[in-house]
Amino acid sequence: MTGFGDRILGLGLLVLAVAYGWVAQQWPEPFGGAESVGPETFPTILAVVLAAGSIYLMIKPDPDAEWPLGKSALELVVSVVVLLVYALLLEPLGFIIATTLAVGTLSWRMGAAPGRAFITGLLSAVVVFVLFNYGLSLSLPAGLLEVN
Amino acid sequence: METLGFLMEGFAVALTPYNLMFALFGAFVGTLIGCLPGLGPANGVAILIPLAFTLGLPPETAMILLTSVYAGAMYGGRISSILLNIPGDEPAMMTCLDGYPMAKKGRAADALAISAIASFSGGLIGTIGLIMLAPVLAKFALTFGPAEYFALFLLAFATLGGITGKNPMKTVIAATLGIMISTVGIDISTGTQRYTFGVLELYEGIDFILAIVGLFAISELLFFVESRMGRGRDQMNVGKLTLSFKELVGTIPTQLRGGVLGFISGVLPGAGASLGSFISYTLEKQAVGKKGTFGEGDIRGVAAPEAGNNGASSGALVPMLTLGVPGSGTTAVLLAMLISLNITPGPLMFTQNADIVWGVIAALLIGNVLLLVLNIPLVGMFVKLLSVPPMYLLPIVTMVAFVGIYSISHSTFDLYFMVAFGIAGYFLRKLEIPLVPIILGLLLGPEMEKNLGHAMVLSDGDWSILWGSPLAIGLWVVAGLGLVLPYLVGPILRRRMNAAMKESPVSD
Repeated sequence: MTGFGDRILGLGLLVLAVAYGWVAQQWPEPFGGAESVGPETFPTILAVVLAAGSIYLMIKPDPDAEWPLGKSALELVVSVVVLLVYALLLEPLGFIIATTLAVGTLSWRMGAAPGRAFITGLLSAVVVFVLFNYGLSLSLPAGLLEVN
Repeated sequence: METLGFLMEGFAVALTPYNLMFALFGAFVGTLIGCLPGLGPANGVAILIPLAFTLGLPPETAMILLTSVYAGAMYGGRISSILLNIPGDEPAMMTCLDGYPMAKKGRAADALAISAIASFSGGLIGTIGLIMLAPVLAKFALTFGPAEYFALFLLAFATLGGITGKNPMKTVIAATLGIMISTVGIDISTGTQRYTFGVLELYEGIDFILAIVGLFAISELLFFVESRMGRGRDQMNVGKLTLSFKELVGTIPTQLRGGVLGFISGVLPGAGASLGSFISYTLEKQAVGKKGTFGEGDIRGVAAPEAGNNGASSGALVPMLTLGVPGSGTTAVLLAMLISLNITPGPLMFTQNADIVWGVIAALLIGNVLLLVLNIPLVGMFVKLLSVPPMYLLPIVTMVAFVGIYSISHSTFDLYFMVAFGIAGYFLRKLEIPLVPIILGLLLGPEMEKNLGHAMVLSDGDWSILWGSPLAIGLWVVAGLGLVLPYLVGPILRRRMNAAMKESPVSD
């Protein structure tokens, strides 16, 4: 079936529109009485527009894009995990270690030789760290490498 | 003459050594951004915003930096078009048609030189147009009331997809999503908490810089991972410059025509730089007629689209500066910078922040000269950098995006948010939901709501005020056309653009 992606998207957006619109109706009346335009007016209009758009998408979907399967999809998941872990470890491990690992893993997964990938990571991490901490005096976390 | 005085003051701002240094840096980085694979101009400017912000640059310097990057990116786009037949960004597509054949004939250096010169004259014409048109439009825009502004914002969204846009409904959906995100946080006029779900970080709303960087930079990385284009391409040989003075003089009319056409399409809502370079190229082809060798490496075929897209990029600044309504992705990102510097874009900016506006305009002129000077001798270096494989480049770019976002707030919460936006951006791009309207919605949403509120207060709750004046009706009509025309004219135009691409013997 063609247009599957758009139909699912349309359904998801319709749910979002209804939820968004419904939440807007629950807000208490603002202090000082109701005006013609309250906090809920604009969101209500948006909900209606989005609902209309999503229904249109479901009725007239565009042909499907090609979705990555198998290995490509796995690589994507790996990349996302790397980014999340990078954000998680940035403060505890410190900028240089976390960045070496993150940039190294990403460029390795994108096809670089592991050695060169991690050297690129280390070099870029050190350069940016020095530039930011000493050149621009914006502090990045030093983490484990902190010297007191 | 008043304008000239302001422009002189602008030069005084832009020519201080400090600002000049940033203009030079911006022009250099911009060219890099334009020519490197996987770093479009909007993306590149977006990544630089948090940096400009955390460096604590004064507003005029920050804007000068980003405008130079913007101008530079337009220059850079042509390098990969000519050498690799791969446009660095969309407007550079038409440059491939004659630029690549020229390179194949061993005249790559000439093609690069003529395109740099044409970019310069296009940019110059566009900036002169900007100087003449912007103050007039700003004065006119002072007569706009809240109802007109509301209609104007709608027009901006409706025409954003452009006449060549594919599915206008998806533009509408994208814009609505963007505005919806902008409603998160405490409502300014009543203090009601909207969609915060009690999460403290959401009280102040979602920072649009974070959303922009996530949507552009992270989703770009994911696209490259998916397509496994990490290896990059072979290096090209540039060769010697053999461009004769006579040839150069011969292209001057072409450059003038291209620059003017480009500027016009840059100013008009919904046209933009892609159409600017397309129109310049096709009209040039018709003007020259049978005498030309278009598609086989005609030098005018390089000059016309390059002058066109640089003229358009200056033209696109007109609506952004005067009305606060950007017409393209990159100008939307520039608008984000203005808003985060606490400057309200729009007609009042010309009176309240005259130093910034004219400083930016002067910087554009200076930037164009700098770019020309930078580009001709340094082209070899840019070509070398072009061969850096994306597998090293994109992870580093992503890291810079992380650093930028982290240094704004020093909170890892923002980083998770950015990654989430990146994943969302990936899916939306896959489903052909354009990202630029989302950004614009994020930026303009609060203004739209404020104007709606003001209009309603003025009319005492009568909704018909929104289309109560002839001007407002006019804006509504154009907005409507912006949504309907792509259905009628879009397929024809797109077919022609594709046909032009196919006609050239080398576009394999």
